[in-house]
Amino acid sequence: MKRPLSVVIWIVIALVGAGALGGIAFHRGEPLNATWFVVAAGCCYLVAYRFYSAFIAARLLTLDDTRATPSERHDDGRDFVPTNKWILFGHHFAAIAGPGPLVGPTLAAQFGYLPGTLWLIAGAVFAGCVQDFIVLFCSIRRDGKTLGEIAREEVSQRGGFIAQLAVLAIMVILLGVVALVIVNALKSSPWATFTLAATIPVALLLGLYLRFLRPGRVLEASFIGVALVLFVVVAGQWVADSPSWSHVFTLSGVTLAFALIAYGFAASALPVWLLLAPRDYLSAFIKAGAIFSLAAGILLVRPQVLMPPLTRFIDGSGPVFAGKIFPFCFITIACGAISGFHSLISSGTTPKMIIRESHARFIGYGAMLMESFVGVMAMIAACAMTPGVYFAINSPASIVGATSDAAAATISSWGYPLQAQTMTDLARAVGEQTLLNRAGGAPSLAVGMAQIFSSTIGGPRLLSIWYHFAIMFEALFILTVLDAGTRVGRFMVQELGGRVWKPFATTGWWPGILISSALIVGAWGYFLYQGVVDPLGGINSLWPLFGISNQLLAAVALVVATTILLKMKRIRWIWLTLIPMTWLVIITMTASYQKIFDPNPRLGFLSYANALTAQIAAGKIPAAKIADTQRVIFNQRLDAAVTAVLAAMIIVLIIEALLQWYRILNADPRSVLHETACVATRWPEDFSGASYTATAAEPDAPAMEG
Amino acid sequence: MHSMRAEIEGQGQIENPRPLAFTIWIKRLAVKLWLGIREWCGDSAYERYVQAQRTNSEKVCLLTPAEFYVERVNRRYSRPNRCC
Repeated sequence: MKRPLSVVIWIVIALVGAGALGGIAFHRGEPLNATWFVVAAGCCYLVAYRFYSAFIAARLLTLDDTRATPSERHDDGRDFVPTNKWILFGHHFAAIAGPGPLVGPTLAAQFGYLPGTLWLIAGAVFAGCVQDFIVLFCSIRRDGKTLGEIAREEVSQRGGFIAQLAVLAIMVILLGVVALVIVNALKSSPWATFTLAATIPVALLLGLYLRFLRPGRVLEASFIGVALVLFVVVAGQWVADSPSWSHVFTLSGVTLAFALIAYGFAASALPVWLLLAPRDYLSAFIKAGAIFSLAAGILLVRPQVLMPPLTRFIDGSGPVFAGKIFPFCFITIACGAISGFHSLISSGTTPKMIIRESHARFIGYGAMLMESFVGVMAMIAACAMTPGVYFAINSPASIVGATSDAAAATISSWGYPLQAQTMTDLARAVGEQTLLNRAGGAPSLAVGMAQIFSSTIGGPRLLSIWYHFAIMFEALFILTVLDAGTRVGRFMVQELGGRVWKPFATTGWWPGILISSALIVGAWGYFLYQGVVDPLGGINSLWPLFGISNQLLAAVALVVATTILLKMKRIRWIWLTLIPMTWLVIITMTASYQKIFDPNPRLGFLSYANALTAQIAAGKIPAAKIADTQRVIFNQRLDAAVTAVLAAMIIVLIIEALLQWYRILNADPRSVLHETACVATRWPEDFSGASYTATAAEPDAPAMEG
Repeated sequence: MHSMRAEIEGQGQIENPRPLAFTIWIKRLAVKLWLGIREWCGDSAYERYVQAQRTNSEKVCLLTPAEFYVERVNRRYSRPNRCC
């Protein structure tokens, strides 16, 4: 009786999901309700998790729960900690969910809601979740080794080195781009700048509390911190209203860029317990709270999606970033559908804490589905505002003009009606001087979130508070990525430097710390600065560069996964990783080629550099601006070179992998699978990792000092 | 666990046991949630460490909570642990 009922339920879920997807795809004319998106995504995720991930677990990976995982074999209470699967899911999701799935879909909304939404769902189900799940499985079977180590063992020495270089490259570009997103959100905004600046002393206070007053009491410290941060969000309004203080916190893009560079250096060089760790605790709680609030807000308000399914900008003439729907929709969405960076989390911390191999399905596949849903929510929030407002916020001044009147005239001429007064009123309602020309996704997402939140609590009176709460939430966890990434980058630079001169690799050696911190901060700081001074708005050049590097890293992870599956003799099902890998290689190579060589100066780095050179030669650039223009020319050529190097790295890796695959298929004895020897688990079948938790609640548990 | 079951069974003689059983269920859920949040955010990391050390090694040389906290965050933030 149970089985037929289950079959009926799953058929109903599949039909409802297909119906909702069809509704989204074929609906034209009147605005669509956001409920369609939530239902379509939810049903697709349920079906994919129930059937596709189960198929991968059973047929492709043959997960084995009788096998001891690294957390059982090496349990040390430090890195290798047996952790309940729900808690580990929370850990893993908190680690993989960053600003990418919020910013990417917001920017991709310039093509309309349809292509982005479809790719967010399909990309996650068939590529992103598969990558996270399989890399996690591979790392579990190898004692929690990193992607670079696995690539070195299973593909080749050179493959491992390329994977490590790709990680460093993506880190530098990522940090430069996310810093640019913050700068564009904070420039000329005293309220937002004060709020974010005030989180630094709050984090320092928490750092001292956790180090000296109540060591390790993260929960109580985080409650205090969150209360203080919410207070500074409100206090920002008083600062913005005070003429003298408002002046202090009204900063230009360049000033903010240098402030962020100084912050990144300090966070990397200072003791980690003082600033970096407490900020991360704060960020984790606020991130979880804001994401759940956004989901609840969308379900309660059920906003109308005002953006059309497809806009005229699918032809590549978009104002937010240049490039046609193929391949740039996929490159721009990036993390919400598939992110190469996730493979670093799936092959680092999580495999050392997992209790059973079967949990990899829930944690690897399930957490990525949830991240994809965050991307869908960001798409809804961005598309719930009128298209004219969306384009006014996200377009650079060089395209739509710097004043409300000019922007309204330009955007209306594209077929998206906009009154100049609308932008002035909206800016006043959210407590800003202007919302024009704030490319980067964060401000438009904040406006969308604020409109949804204020429709639930507070009405228009609280719109400004909600807007600045949303900006603080985005900026806070972008800063967390910035400081944590800078520190990890510093370790990578020290490791590489140590190969040349050994003392440099000593992590506690101060000259080494300062030099490596300066190198990594200088690298991403340079990209940030070039983005800030770029006449086309920075995001136009840098977000696609970030997308390309991120998707290339995902291709690296899938190349490694495919190699391992071939070694495991899973040739029949190899298309499960081979198809997404091929797709990623096609879109990244096409995007790289277009970004380097396209004759449109807004798209091609080299053609833009050549166009500017020609303008200088023709005397069209005023003498005072020639030095700046030459710097822009240099930056465009640098971006072209970086893109070419990234593309060359993946080509070399694929050649290495093809060689390895040839050997595997010809049963060459050199192609050996490097799995850890199988050890039978000693844990009972129902062990859930809860014994530690239960013990902690008992009276005789070790007392915490302090 | 045992005492809770006894408590529920003991209350079975009262006229309407349902509200009490529901209260206990809510309490248990709240405790589970609380412990889960503590573990998720790292609040119980030191307790886990102490237990792992006592279970796995004969000679236990424990770090103090402050030493453990510094060591833990140093280790945690020296590898990619926050994504884009």
